[in-house]
This record gives sequence, structure tokens and C-alpha cells, in this order.
Amino acid sequence: MNNARKISEDLYWVGSSDRRLNLFENIMPVPQGVSYNAYLLKDEKNVLIDTSDNSVSEQFFENLYSLVGDNEKLDYIIVNHVEPDHSSLLCRTAYEYPEAKIICSAQAQKMILQFFDCIATERFITVKEGDKMSFGKHEFTFCTAPMVHWPEVIVSYDITTKTLFSADAFGTFKALNGNLFADEVNFDRDWLDEARRYYTNIVGKYGTQVQNLLKKASMLEINMICPLHGPIWRENIGYFVDKYDKWSRYEAEDDTILIIYGSLYGHTESAANIVASRLAEAGQKNIAMYDASVTHPSYLLSEAFRCRRIVILSSTYNAEIYTPVKIFIDEMKSHNLQNRVFAVAENGTWAPTAGKQMREMLAFNNNVITDTTLTIKSALNESQKDSVDKFVNEILNK
Amino acid sequence: MKKYVCKICKHVYDPAVGDPDSGIAPGTAFEDLPDDWTCPLCGVGKEDFEEE
Repeated sequence: MNNARKISEDLYWVGSSDRRLNLFENIMPVPQGVSYNAYLLKDEKNVLIDTSDNSVSEQFFENLYSLVGDNEKLDYIIVNHVEPDHSSLLCRTAYEYPEAKIICSAQAQKMILQFFDCIATERFITVKEGDKMSFGKHEFTFCTAPMVHWPEVIVSYDITTKTLFSADAFGTFKALNGNLFADEVNFDRDWLDEARRYYTNIVGKYGTQVQNLLKKASMLEINMICPLHGPIWRENIGYFVDKYDKWSRYEAEDDTILIIYGSLYGHTESAANIVASRLAEAGQKNIAMYDASVTHPSYLLSEAFRCRRIVILSSTYNAEIYTPVKIFIDEMKSHNLQNRVFAVAENGTWAPTAGKQMREMLAFNNNVITDTTLTIKSALNESQKDSVDKFVNEILNK
Repeated sequence: MKKYVCKICKHVYDPAVGDPDSGIAPGTAFEDLPDDWTCPLCGVGKEDFEEE
């Protein structure tokens, strides 16, 4: 049975959600699922805006057939983004509707033909920044959004209804559970963490490019944002734009402290608990803390984007930084994190060198590291109380 | 003439090829590209390129 949903006059949602997928992009756990949005505009022309992932193909085609039936034509398929979680169903759609033309950027055409060998070049209409197309009542314009988060990405803007089809921008993890609109859910309580984890891991590296897109979008009047994942925004759009603005300027949302530790037998963990307690006793609230071994890096990265100050405690492991901690630091570097304060503590039963190596790894962008490395020799000793206090005070004073 | 790599998307500017779609003829050194030339793949400026 089809589950196509009317969004607004002439516009329908034809997507679906996957609650069984283990790893998005084969990296990130998605325990709350993920949605794949596709939209259909029924104007004088029928226009499909993106397709979906293979996992939801059955529902997608039931949805599409219900709106573009046997005696109807699909005139256009707009491909805002070629990543396979959106383009996997392009070939079959193009086959089922042989008259449909594909609207995309020149780079997107090249990529589509690299992935798939199914669409004749004559079926492509490539668009550039500012190009316009009318589908009847609705006139669209196209803007490039390079590296948000792929080079070929365009966003499509319905000038008539002031609707922005934003590709992966303004998306989030988590399955859509009947409610398609952000104003129908408690987004801050139930969605924001997954939205942040989605943004930081997938787009986080490209802050400058997201800022460029936000500047372009600020020139448009936007009544609705239709992303490729997650709920549609038609109210309180400013709330979500503000989050994107902060995340893309690498500005922390919370002035709180994040503690990440890597501990083999619990001694570095104990030190982390002691540091957290001293911080709490000094008045610091909302301290966040994670064991790097049991928390997927995608969550740690998301928290590092949220919090301004990050304390990292690591065992020394084969004369290097303990692997899960090394991975976490590498993730922060790869995603271009900036404007953070780090504090490092090392543990080593014979030659604690993790601290020095962490300081070297953390010397990227404009991030600062507090002066003192707290050194633990197997376990913190009562005689180290003053060192611990010094370490904690340096964090509090930043 | 040296090749230059875009730091953001890793596109390689090869002077031997130039960037004909943007009106840059083959044989144009990176240094001679106009100041407002941008990466054909991802749109960043010359300042985000480094020698290969």
C-alpha cells in the first residue's frame, strides 16, 4: 500500500524510513533509524525530486506509482545529490518512466554515469547557478552548494512557494514516525542530538562551505525546507538555521566540559571520575563524560562539537596514545574542529608518553591546550592532590 | 610547471591541461591564474590550493 503524503499544494512526500540499518555510510550506528526523503511536484509537469536508498525501494515505488500512474508521465527527475542513499533508485525510475529527463549539475551527470550505466546522455538537462525552470505554476531556480557535502550538490528553490529542497543540508538521522514536520515533534528534546551527530560527522568538515550556503539562503525568503533526511521545516526555521550557523562556525553550543577517557583496567577511568568530581565541586554543571572504548566515535565527535572544553585522559598503549582515544582525536582533526580548549592527562606504568603525543595531535587549527599535562603512573596517588587541583583549575580558568 | 592540489576536495590543477571550461588555456601556470579563479570541483579560491 502506498504511503505518499501531501506536504503542501501540489507537493507530496514519497520517501520512507529504515529502522533496520546498522551503519549509515557503513560507519555510523543509527539505532533510531534513518529516513530517506523524496518529493513529487504535481504541476503541469510531474517533477520527482531525488529518489531514495535501495532499502526502501518497495515503499518508494508504491508511493511514486500512486501519484504518477499508468497513463501519466514523469517529466523530470531533479537530482540534487548523487550519493547512493538518494540516487540508488534513479536507474529503475528512469527505466519505468522513459520520458523523464534528469535535471542536475554537470558534475552530477558525470558522477551518475560513473555509478550507473543506465541513463542515456540525451536525457540529462544540466543546470548552473541561477538557472530557472518552470513546471507550470511553480518556477524553480537552482543554486550550487559545493562540498555540502559533495562537490556536485545543488539545492533547488521553488520560487512560487518559497520552498527550499536543501539536499543533505538541514537533515538528520532518526526515522520519521508518522510526523513529517519538525513542528509536530519536540525537536530539541527528541531529535537535536541525532541532528547534531548527523551534521558533525557527515558535513562537519565543510564549515566554510556551509557558511557560503547559508549566505546564499539568507538572500531567499524561505517558507519551508525539505531536506533529504529527517523532518520538514515550515515553522521556527530560524531555530535550525541558528544551529547550522553555530556548527559551521565551529562555535560550541554549550560552555560545558566534555571528558573523554581511554582506560584498560579502570585506573585512568578513576582519574577521569576524580577530575569530573573536582570540576563539579567547583561549580561546573552539565559535565559530559564518555569511555572512548565503548562509545562510537560518531557520538564523541558530536559531543566535541557541542562542548567548548574537552578533557582527554589516555593510557599509553605500546608507546602510543590508546587506540580509541587516538581515533577520537583523529576524528576531531579530520572534521576540522576549531575554537576548542583541550586539557590532556596521560597514564603510563613505565613510560607515559601519551600526553606528549596528544599535545602534538591536538595542535591543529586554533585550538588551545592548557599548560599542564596531568601524569598518572598506573594510578593516581593521594600525593598528587595538588597536581590534580592545578590541572582542574587550568580548565576552569579557560 | 608544478601541479597544485585543492586542500578541500583534492582536485588537481594540472597546468598542462589548464581549465578550459573556465577559459584557462592549457599551459597556464598556477601562479598565472586570475585571482578570482576558483576550483572547478568545489568552488574554493586559489588560496586553498597547495603544491602537489
